[in-house]
Amino acid sequence: MAGAILVTGADGYLGRLLVRRLLDSTDVELILAVRARDRAEMCAKQAGMAATLSGGEGRVRWAAADLVAEHPFADVDPAGVGAILHSAAVTRFNVDEETAQRVNVDGTRRVLAFARRCRRLERVCVVGTVYASGLRAGPIEETALDDSAGFANAYERSKWAAEQLLVRECADLPWRLCRAATVVADDEHGHVTQQNAVHNTLKLLFHGLLSLIPGLPGVPVYCVTGELVVQAVLASLTAPDDARIVHACHTREESLTLGELVDAAFGVFEAEEVFRSRRILRPLFADARSFELLAGAVRGFGAGIVSQAVGSVAPFARQLFVAKALDNRRLRAVLPAYVAPDPKRLVERTCADLVRTRWGAPALERPA
Amino acid sequence: MTPVFVDHVGVALGGRAETVEEAADGGRTRSPAAALREAGFVRHHVCERGESAYVLACRAVQPIRAALAGVGAIVYATCLPHNGNVGSEAAFRDTRDVKHLMDFPASRLQADFGLERAAVFGLSQQACTGTLGALRIAAALLRDEGGIGRALCVTADRFPDGALYEQAYNLVSDGAAACVVSLDQGAFRLLACHAITNGALSLASDDEAVGHYFAYSHRLIEETLAKAGLTIDDIGWVVPQNMNVTAWRIFARLLGIDFERVAFPTLPEAAHVISADNLLNLARITEEGRVQPGERVMLVMSGFGLNWQCVILERT
Repeated sequence: MAGAILVTGADGYLGRLLVRRLLDSTDVELILAVRARDRAEMCAKQAGMAATLSGGEGRVRWAAADLVAEHPFADVDPAGVGAILHSAAVTRFNVDEETAQRVNVDGTRRVLAFARRCRRLERVCVVGTVYASGLRAGPIEETALDDSAGFANAYERSKWAAEQLLVRECADLPWRLCRAATVVADDEHGHVTQQNAVHNTLKLLFHGLLSLIPGLPGVPVYCVTGELVVQAVLASLTAPDDARIVHACHTREESLTLGELVDAAFGVFEAEEVFRSRRILRPLFADARSFELLAGAVRGFGAGIVSQAVGSVAPFARQLFVAKALDNRRLRAVLPAYVAPDPKRLVERTCADLVRTRWGAPALERPA
Repeated sequence: MTPVFVDHVGVALGGRAETVEEAADGGRTRSPAAALREAGFVRHHVCERGESAYVLACRAVQPIRAALAGVGAIVYATCLPHNGNVGSEAAFRDTRDVKHLMDFPASRLQADFGLERAAVFGLSQQACTGTLGALRIAAALLRDEGGIGRALCVTADRFPDGALYEQAYNLVSDGAAACVVSLDQGAFRLLACHAITNGALSLASDDEAVGHYFAYSHRLIEETLAKAGLTIDDIGWVVPQNMNVTAWRIFARLLGIDFERVAFPTLPEAAHVISADNLLNLARITEEGRVQPGERVMLVMSGFGLNWQCVILERT
């Protein structure tokens, strides 16, 4: 790499994993772009990443970059940038349309505009999501997607729209797109340092606050480790043009169904005396309309736990009725050593970690 | 199995009716009035000062007095255990004599209604499901003891002064209900009773109670149907407790039944009458002629404890 690698969202979950891996496996300089309103926030973020950067401090520069600003990379010299890893995004499933547009779409547009100013740029790799495929069922290839099936939430739509910027407007850029599946753990040992809607749902089930979940038990649920996503993103840096888009996921045959995932989780939960003694039953699967009714009914009762519980599941509920068959042939091509983990074991280990820590506050600096 | 019948339902509600807005303004709810209206509640009933649970019980029994001849047992259920004593706490404190804590309403009822032959049984640990527990005990007594013949089942509760009248996001009313369980032919033949208790959740919060509702209610119904040798398609009417109407819109879908077959017509005006809901609703749909001979009616109830109970009846 002729220049430094600019990592957006460097203090985010995937950003940290990418930075750590780049420090460990390359000698390239890194420019860590993080959102910071002022010097104090920047200092706090730098301090928060001290463990991530251990041993690599001399190779790291920082840049305050808010993607919603008109020129987020004003402090970065484009001449020194050889590659960009764009991992910054709002990834909450319940993000509102406006925020999703401003950060995920307009922010990506600004990253790409900056990329055009980088004369030595060899690669700009955008971290996307397999859920940019929206509510499309059936085969999902590692190719450009249309929006004809619609989306479950504004997050998905915004990530699809960001992809469109690459596909339609960036023929002049050496772009790559890595669509990640749902990250459930850092690694195959099931360590969890960043919790998302999946972990929250498991927590609600563990505490008996959700006896109804939306979805069809036979729908595949695509879970991956942060480790796989990092491998896929970094492989994209050197991927050939016929692998512009790769899926950081496992195939349908290598993944659990929703019903199998719930069974695996309860298998772990039921090994816990405190859970077993409460005789919490496995949830019932509700159709989409039933879950909509439930979400609507509890919404009126304010911010109670049930309302929060249902509200956290509702934004991605529609996906749990959509049977996708994700393709990952290009991933396999750029990762020759690819081996899918045992999906049940991954879920079991993840659940065991969550139970052990009782879904404690995210320990972002926990060593791998 | 010896056939047992359920008939002669009487009901009574607390003397003062107020709208959900009045209840909310009076500090008797946690949730806003609009949310409770959205849930289907319009008004509820609270006892006037001096109107005890026992007074409600008598008012529920009075209309069916003519059917009480030969009653050999009274099964008296209360949701709140303190409603199982009409004695004076003050008298106990003054005298330190615990008999003031054992002034039982079932005994009073036996005396006040002249039911000298009736043995009395109190049921106070099944919360809102107590009425269905009373039906089960009455049926078992009738089947096992030849001399009883008929039993009076009663439930009566009023909340203590100052209590919130909202439980698990449902608006509550003070009230009572009574019915006769008999070996003689009656309006409904009792086909099956079933109960599930999860004592580990006895101190469940409202949210936990709601969280467990669907899975446990579903299991309860499946097990009751299996006991009766029936399927859900054999059930003509489901008569649940008066609770958030949307919960049963959802549950009907889970069970695969038409929501039109879920009957809780007293919900808006009566609210959740603690353990009396099933009998209130059963009486209403019977009066309206909605239940045809041969149709089966499933009574479903959940309550703290946590308890779930279900009874299947068949219209004669």
